Amino acid sequence: MHGFLSYLNAHFHALRLEFWGLLIGGIGSGIIYAMVAIGYTMVYGVLRLINFAHSEIFMTGAFAGYFTLNYLIGSSSPTGITSILLIVVGIIAGGLTGSFFAVTLERVAYRPLRKRKAPKIAYLISAIGASYFLLNLAAKEFGRIGRGIAQPYSNHTVFTIFGANVEMYNIIIFLAAGMMLIIVDRLVNKTKLGRSIRSVAQDSETASLMGVDIDKTIAMTFVIGGFLGGAAGFLYALNIGVLYSMGFTPALKAFTAAVLGGIGNLRGAVIGGLILGVTESFTVVFFSGAYTDVVAFAILVLVLMFRPTGILGELIGRSA
Amino acid sequence: MNFPFIKKLSIKAITILILSELAAVVTGPPGNADTPWIGFHDSITQKTSFFGLFVTGRWALFYALGILSYLIVYFFNHNDFKNSASDSLRSSYRSVAGKKYFRLIAMFAIGVVVVLLPTIITDPFWREAMVSQIAVFILLALGLNVVVGFAGLLDLGFVAFYAVGAYATAWCTGALPVPPLFGSHVNPFFAIPVAIILAMVAGVILGIPTLRLRGDYLAIVTLGFGEIITLFANNLTGVTGGAQGTKQVPHFSFHVGPLKYIWGLDPAPYYYLVIGFVFLFIFIFYSLEHSRVGRAWTAIREDEVAAESLGINPLKYKVMAFAIGAASAGFAGVMTAAQSNFLTPATFTLSLSINILVLVIFGGMGSIFGVVFGAIVIQTITMYLIHTPPAGYQPQDLYIYLGALLVIMMIFRPAGLFPARRRQRLDVSTSSFENSND
Amino acid sequence: MTNLFEVSNITLRFGGVVSLSDVSLYQKRGEILAVIGPNGAGKTSLFNSLTGVYKPQEGSITFNPKEGEPISIIGKKPHVISHTGVARTFQASRMFNALTTFENVKIGAESHKGLGAIGSILRGPATRKDEKYSDARTWDLLDFVGLRAKANYIASSLSYGERRRLEIARGLATNPEVLLLDEPAAGTNPSEKLELTDLIRKVRDEMEVSILLIEHDMKLVMSLAERLYVLNFGSVIAEGTPDEIRANQNVVDAYLGTTSVEGSH
Repeated sequence: MHGFLSYLNAHFHALRLEFWGLLIGGIGSGIIYAMVAIGYTMVYGVLRLINFAHSEIFMTGAFAGYFTLNYLIGSSSPTGITSILLIVVGIIAGGLTGSFFAVTLERVAYRPLRKRKAPKIAYLISAIGASYFLLNLAAKEFGRIGRGIAQPYSNHTVFTIFGANVEMYNIIIFLAAGMMLIIVDRLVNKTKLGRSIRSVAQDSETASLMGVDIDKTIAMTFVIGGFLGGAAGFLYALNIGVLYSMGFTPALKAFTAAVLGGIGNLRGAVIGGLILGVTESFTVVFFSGAYTDVVAFAILVLVLMFRPTGILGELIGRSA
Repeated sequence: MNFPFIKKLSIKAITILILSELAAVVTGPPGNADTPWIGFHDSITQKTSFFGLFVTGRWALFYALGILSYLIVYFFNHNDFKNSASDSLRSSYRSVAGKKYFRLIAMFAIGVVVVLLPTIITDPFWREAMVSQIAVFILLALGLNVVVGFAGLLDLGFVAFYAVGAYATAWCTGALPVPPLFGSHVNPFFAIPVAIILAMVAGVILGIPTLRLRGDYLAIVTLGFGEIITLFANNLTGVTGGAQGTKQVPHFSFHVGPLKYIWGLDPAPYYYLVIGFVFLFIFIFYSLEHSRVGRAWTAIREDEVAAESLGINPLKYKVMAFAIGAASAGFAGVMTAAQSNFLTPATFTLSLSINILVLVIFGGMGSIFGVVFGAIVIQTITMYLIHTPPAGYQPQDLYIYLGALLVIMMIFRPAGLFPARRRQRLDVSTSSFENSND
Repeated sequence: MTNLFEVSNITLRFGGVVSLSDVSLYQKRGEILAVIGPNGAGKTSLFNSLTGVYKPQEGSITFNPKEGEPISIIGKKPHVISHTGVARTFQASRMFNALTTFENVKIGAESHKGLGAIGSILRGPATRKDEKYSDARTWDLLDFVGLRAKANYIASSLSYGERRRLEIARGLATNPEVLLLDEPAAGTNPSEKLELTDLIRKVRDEMEVSILLIEHDMKLVMSLAERLYVLNFGSVIAEGTPDEIRANQNVVDAYLGTTSVEGSH
């Protein structure tokens, strides 16, 4: 017992020391989870289906960014405006690739099932198959060794808050991801396309009776979710690098974030992502790296058991 | 010329092109991240001979094959070929199958083949694969069939129960860092009940909190559970031996009264052992399927709300399905541990869970004959590809094909090759997934 | 003699929507009781509350079986409530579509036994006896509802009227004391309706099962029911015999309409 208490004590002490650093890191990964979570949550909204293959969308975006930046940067060390441009290019490359694969996925693996009104289990199995296909194809084509992305900027500490370093990487993530999240929020809440998406999410039969093109709306949902997922993959890879299996764990955590915030709820996905990222960051102090995955999984199980509608609640409520 | 017709035709032509080139890439040489185009480029431009007739780029060969396949399917669907062919097949099958002793004769024939197989097959690779990659996988497929096929629950972490059974065997036989269960080590025979019970307990522990969840959530949670078991196996080095694996697990032996037999390196005795249990499990699961438990599972699968209103407790039956499936997997674990004499966590991956799922889906979920058939076919093909790999094939490429197979099955034949007699209506949604309350 | 069902002041809410508001009713043993009202009035919610699918936030529901203690329904799961003797059918027939008519009813007949996984595998004499009994009971029920000819047909191939009868047989297989029928006549033609009316009466008379029914077909309800409750917007607005209800001005205004005193669809 005494050993356990002193263990706790030591770790809480470490937590206090590192608090701001951990918080910043946690928000950073949380924002990435949020971006991926939006993909899950939007697809769930319109299809009532968990897009299991979203992890591979994340991966393809990362690789797209990897190849693009490697080609453009080569061995140089860009600075200034070039850096910013390169980051933007990377994000666009990742995002567009993500959208492409997402839409293709929908067309090939989901739409035939939708036309047939297949039960949910069929979509899940199809998604798993697609996910495995893409993952192992990437392994075959791109090798099984992880690689780093050519850096478009030189990472350095820009400033410090309360003794914690805020690095270039953190700022890029906050800005880029933050902007994209705001854009998507605007898109879904203020535009005609967004209205179509929300109407299909609420009641697809009525929406189609009102003239909404269901197929196209669903495709656009995948485009948006895919873009964010792919871009998130790129941002993640800037720090961690690329590997064929890189999508699995972050996507699982992003899914947890989506459920935590309330599946189907966009703002919930963001909140869930941030909470998960920060919680995970703090728990690293207590457990070794491998076990942080257990933490995310435990959160998932707890949320599903005790509050399956998540923090903000399932936005598309079932009628009584 | 008719413009819409040209447009449709060109779309079809392009789709076939893309699909056939994708097939070319998938079956072609691998690439790597430094030179990403190697894989794609070589797959497409590599010279290959068209059945020995002439040499051309791979892309042309695949495109030609793609067009050919499309034309065959097109003509098959658009003529009476399809109907009359399948009708005549069916009627000739019926006229044979109707004959009184058909079933008996068929089963006898199968029995003879099964018994004689080890004497027919002499290649050591195949003798080994027969047991560890085919017979054991039949057991695993049978177990997952109870969960997915009978009860309609998508379990993506099935490999966890397999691992529990295998490691339980290692524990009982003293192959783990922690002291064996019964004080001194015993042979795997006595580990069987332990493995089965532990696996069932794992099934119940996983099932009770999670089986109330909706289908997609259940799938993800079971997946996570499978991953966590692997994580523990890898990291709890003091208990499981960690990533290095266990110490040596002794061979299976049987010593009851005057009867004594010790298994050894020769696969043939293991083959008979495992196949014997395969038949036992087939008998058990067949009885279950046609009992009130099986009917309750069908009711829950078809319409959980209606089943509940009739007094069927869905949670109880779902947990039971989990436990029974887990028992089968746990038992398979004993077999694996005893035969390979050594365990590492690297065997028990998510990929394996998915592999087993493919066997079930491909063969026909809910159909005992179907999943046995599916297991035999796919595992045999898998082993063949490992034994004599075609150019450019790496063993890990298997999962590319398995993944594609899952998607293809779902789109074209969701009920599997041999659909269960009590169809799970995978073509139209009537199942409990849709109708559950949450 | 105690009432079969005592529902006291139940209120059922879903988020901001109040589905049932302070509803009280009772059912006498052996009675054919009907609940009518416009769409959305809360009738099916009432059924769902009685069978444990929904859990009212306020009030109590007590079920008094012939033998044994009174049972509080609220908070119990549907399968537990089924074991106490409450059976129901559904508004849109919920068949086990992949199974035959016979198997559908048999599931009802055998669902009240114990778990029996081991028994199912070993097929001992006890299991076989149980199965014989379930089979016999199933045939009896199929005869009772007139579906013996369709016993081996897949349930999805039955007509509407036949499905309704199948659901009734299936519900009766669980040996209930009360059968809740949710719009049994919906989608049936006039001759099927007549058969249904006779069948429902036969169920009460010959099997001594009380009936609680939701229906929109006024002719059917008025000829069958001994007593009615009228729901509107989640509240009970009237209660009484068919004649009393027909004469009740509130009911006429809310639901029946002035030209339908004689009762129409």
